[in-house]
Amino acid sequence: MQKRQSRLLAAALLLTSTLSVSSSGFAQAKTEGSMPKVGDMAPDFTLKYFDGTNRKDVKLSDYRGKKNVVLAFFVFAFTGG
Amino acid sequence: MKNFQQHLKELEATDTQVLGVSMDSPFANKAFADQIGVTFPLLSDWGGKTTREYGIYKDEYQAARRVNFLITKDGKIAEVQVDKDAIDPTKIVDTCQRPKLNN
Repeated sequence: MQKRQSRLLAAALLLTSTLSVSSSGFAQAKTEGSMPKVGDMAPDFTLKYFDGTNRKDVKLSDYRGKKNVVLAFFVFAFTGG
Repeated sequence: MKNFQQHLKELEATDTQVLGVSMDSPFANKAFADQIGVTFPLLSDWGGKTTREYGIYKDEYQAARRVNFLITKDGKIAEVQVDKDAIDPTKIVDTCQRPKLNN
């Protein structure tokens, strides 16, 4: 009986440690993703801009099948480049 | 961003939408666009979620790196230009003008 209990405990410990390792790995991949490469699907997003009157949403996948998109990331507003 | 503005007509002629992205607010980006004469949207990635998903958040700046992605109509990435290479848009204009991109 005691042997069975200790086996169960060992299994539970193993499971917990596996889960915590994989979940922290997942969180890291999500926040510090690597740059997508040529041929990869571009991660979808919805972002806002201000057109002078209203704030508007732009969703990348809305351009699917319609237009190519140049995404030009820049560091800060009011700086060069 | 000014460099893309200078080539905007050529890009639009190839069915290409230009979108600037930074971690500034929508209002700061609009003021910036007006100041430099940019007419395409400058999107606000407030908080940096998209910047991180594209793997270009730089701790040192607490902002995005200067990177261009050309995304074709099927949603795939056709070109990536990083840092200094991202300043000159002519390579992207050339790629967009290639006939196979618009099949």
